[in-house]
Amino acid sequence: MTTPDAPLHEPHLALHVEDLTVGYGGAPVLLDADIDIPPGVMAAIVGPNGSGKSTFLKSCLGLVRPAAGHIRFFGQPLAQARARVGYVPQRSTVDWDFPTTVIDVVTMGLYGRLGLFRRPGRAEREKALKALADLGMLDYADRQIGQLSGGQQQRVFIARALVQEADLYFLDEPMAGVDATTEAAIIAILQRLRDAGKTVVVVHHDLSTVKRWFDWLIMLNRRVVAQGPVATTYTRDNLRAAYGGQLAVLDPADHGLGP
Amino acid sequence: MSPLLTVALGTALLGALAGALGPFAVLRKQSLMGDVLSHAALPGICIGFLVAQERSLPALLAGALIAGLIAAGLIQLILRFTRIKPDAAMGIILSTFFALGVVLLSHIQHSGGAAQAGLSSFLFGQAAAMLASDVTLLSALAALVLLILATFWKDLKLVAFDRDYARALGRPVAAMESLLAAVTAIAIVAGLQVVGVVLMVALLIAPAVAARQWVEGLLPMVLLSALLGAGAGVSGALLSSTARGLATGPVIVLVAAGLVLLSILFAPRRGLVWRRA
Repeated sequence: MTTPDAPLHEPHLALHVEDLTVGYGGAPVLLDADIDIPPGVMAAIVGPNGSGKSTFLKSCLGLVRPAAGHIRFFGQPLAQARARVGYVPQRSTVDWDFPTTVIDVVTMGLYGRLGLFRRPGRAEREKALKALADLGMLDYADRQIGQLSGGQQQRVFIARALVQEADLYFLDEPMAGVDATTEAAIIAILQRLRDAGKTVVVVHHDLSTVKRWFDWLIMLNRRVVAQGPVATTYTRDNLRAAYGGQLAVLDPADHGLGP
Repeated sequence: MSPLLTVALGTALLGALAGALGPFAVLRKQSLMGDVLSHAALPGICIGFLVAQERSLPALLAGALIAGLIAAGLIQLILRFTRIKPDAAMGIILSTFFALGVVLLSHIQHSGGAAQAGLSSFLFGQAAAMLASDVTLLSALAALVLLILATFWKDLKLVAFDRDYARALGRPVAAMESLLAAVTAIAIVAGLQVVGVVLMVALLIAPAVAARQWVEGLLPMVLLSALLGAGAGVSGALLSSTARGLATGPVIVLVAAGLVLLSILFAPRRGLVWRRA
């Protein structure tokens, strides 16, 4: 256990991952990964199915226990940095028929700072409403979550992470199955966070938008294949190394690689 | 108190108790776990009887609780060390414990003696045997559950809705889940006398399922579920008192099932009839 007074380890990095290995009993899903993400970037994590993208995210958030390695946020382990880390899970991970309202779900993002016994009050409601307004969802505040479309569900989840007022945000496939309006709203919010100096880390599946939206890239295929600024990392060789035979489905012209 | 009043009060309290906890079991998709806990109680009751050498209620209930906890622990071990899925693991443990309970029960009954009289009532319950002291115990238990729900409401809701997010926020998820599991197990054991190990889970689930049809919001759901549970308890007790040979526990469960049927059919918006119209 690291005490709060422990010396910071790589404090200049928003996220520093060293020698991370994760397995679920069988062969490791993620092997000996070293990943560094500087603050203030919008980073995409890409890789084929089963490449360990979600596992990586879950390890960072303490949801799965790594077999080896360590993870630091701004130089601190998760236990001390938790308040600085926001999270947007895949929306399919919850039951949207749960009996609750939109504003209630967004307010959940503030439970961490409320502690065990304090209840959300007026101040929390104001924060939640502001986050909903940022995502164009103010009119839905008192709706049942069961009435939302997929894109609206996603925006509610992002609003819930926004109220955390974190410095580093993890998002797990936020663009999966959402409409164009939602996609634009999400990108606008994420870019605004980035411009405010926050770090945004997105598990992403759509290679065609990597160059347009992101400025930092991590390519996984059970190991780290490549990482760095998109401009120098998004190359044909790296894509081939990460996706192997599956690269055949990619038309380079569609993905900003040129002829 | 007249015996009927005692029974009505006791079944109402039990219904409210199980009804208030039911939504958390249902929304967390842990309904079958309630069934495991109650079926697994049977061998515990028998062993409690064998140890105490008499029909001592504290010994029987302690046995029930311990057996339930062992069953829950075994399921966790199976899930952790094998690739068996949760429903299969629960099914295996439920039936094994219940079979063990029936074997012990038949053994005890054949060994004779007046002491074993009434032990088999734990199979389907015997509400008429309820004493004023049981009502006092159930009142205390209901107050405890009320206090726990009121104190930890927001974290219990978060854990029920989005467990992983709660963990990512650093909320005490394991503590909340253990607390819920513990009070649910205690409520189940408290109900075994009245409804029996076979039917107890219905009292946990039926009011919650019925309540969900009528209301939106977790708080209204918990309140209505407790109310429906209490209603089923009282009306079951009164109905069974109107005729000879109507077992109270099963009648309570039938009333609760009737509430579920009505709710599935006629609840506004979610009801089948409403949606067809």
